[in-house]
Amino acid sequence: MPDQLKVRLVTPDRILVDQTVEAVEVPGKNGYFEVLYGAAPLLSEIGAGEVRLHGGEAGDRRYSVARGFVEVLPERVTILAEEAEKPQDIDTAAAQQQLQHGEKLWSEAGEDPEKYAHANEVMREAEARLESAGEKG
Amino acid sequence: MANVLDLRRRIRSVRNTRQITKAMKMVAAAKLRRAQERAVSARPYAAMLASVLESLKRRAEIYDPETGECRHPLLLTRPEKRILLVVVSGDKGFAGAFNTNIFKAAANFILENGDKEIDIEAIGRKGRDLFRRRYPAAQFTGNNEEDQRPERQQRSSAVEVLAGPTAALEKIDYDAVREVAEEIIGLYTHEQIDAAYLVYNEFKSVIQQRVVVERVLPILSLTIHEIEKAEEPTLEERERAAEAALSAGVSLYPHEAEAAQKQLEDEAKNFGTAEVDYIYEQPPAEIFADVLPRYVTSQLYHATLESIAAEHAARMTAMDSATNNASDMIDSLTLTMNRVRQAAITKEIIEIVSGAAAI
Repeated sequence: MPDQLKVRLVTPDRILVDQTVEAVEVPGKNGYFEVLYGAAPLLSEIGAGEVRLHGGEAGDRRYSVARGFVEVLPERVTILAEEAEKPQDIDTAAAQQQLQHGEKLWSEAGEDPEKYAHANEVMREAEARLESAGEKG
Repeated sequence: MANVLDLRRRIRSVRNTRQITKAMKMVAAAKLRRAQERAVSARPYAAMLASVLESLKRRAEIYDPETGECRHPLLLTRPEKRILLVVVSGDKGFAGAFNTNIFKAAANFILENGDKEIDIEAIGRKGRDLFRRRYPAAQFTGNNEEDQRPERQQRSSAVEVLAGPTAALEKIDYDAVREVAEEIIGLYTHEQIDAAYLVYNEFKSVIQQRVVVERVLPILSLTIHEIEKAEEPTLEERERAAEAALSAGVSLYPHEAEAAQKQLEDEAKNFGTAEVDYIYEQPPAEIFADVLPRYVTSQLYHATLESIAAEHAARMTAMDSATNNASDMIDSLTLTMNRVRQAAITKEIIEIVSGAAAI
């Protein structure tokens, strides 16, 4: 099909996804957005959340990602993420632990804005992972 | 002269050694293949990161147009007074001159910068052990009141060792490297160090490796690795390595699918640099500031992976030499043993003959 979007999800270790889809949802830092074929070029940071692929050959797929950015071109989307995993691979216990660690950081942050932001970041990532692990299937 | 029995024992012992070195060589070859794959599959990410930075650099106003000041702390240069040296070595020995070469390069660096204060951060057990023996550990006390960072005690020596990561190299992952990188970045932005250098073994292919000293911080140029110094292996060493690789079944030029890989890397280089006006979700400067630390991490990760691959390659070569030497030794010992045996037999015959003649 001519109006298919090429999606690539790249992590520091390997290229996780390289396929064509009809649409992809990306967790931008300022909120989720969906990209279709022919989108305007865009560059954005991504926050913790899920990349959702729609209408691919292997059906819909989801990946939990954190920390990275995305480049959107009319016929190609490339997502760079430091962390990316399938929902079924998420270690919920570890995520829970991370959440607790984040809460601890948060309560210890005092009045240091830098630490505050860091703690929030940790917690957001853990929550996003838990959430995406929760809605399996 | 040694008797036949002694020689036979020695031959047996050397043969056992040969078996061990041969096994080690094969193990190293297998691990090398895996490490190579890891290093290669990590390349697209690094390339994409570098290219997106490159394209952002043109749009994000790094320098304040009015004051001409640099906007990102990681790009600021200061006179180098305190330097952080990150040494990536191996976890184990038996790899020929692999670790020695790294230490030599590090020691040279320290000598050349003798008038500056140097902190060492070692990745890999061999390096950690060596530098801990040689230099005192850095002492930190309590927290600084202003910014909550641990405060440094008086230096007891011009060269001190920081606590590096303790994870085994084999299992090191991106998160572990990120922690190290964040620490380095923290030190740099809080002006506790003025520059960071990286010493590691670069791995191009089995026959092309070199020890390089590279500057990580401050970031002066984004696309080129700022290599300060590099030591190439000699032709002879290369030939040895090629021989070892051949006998272990490791292809010299990895990845038959190199063309596909190349194309991928080329595409990766174009990431974020298309000749279009991007819509930036966040202000370019903000994205830029977020990407820079990641770039440092990716550089460090890249160095670690390369060093791991180089270590296995070095071990493979060293073990191949050891196996060959053992074979040579067995040959020469067998020759001596046969000679000794022949001499004994000849002597006995002479005795019998001359005894018979006397009757």
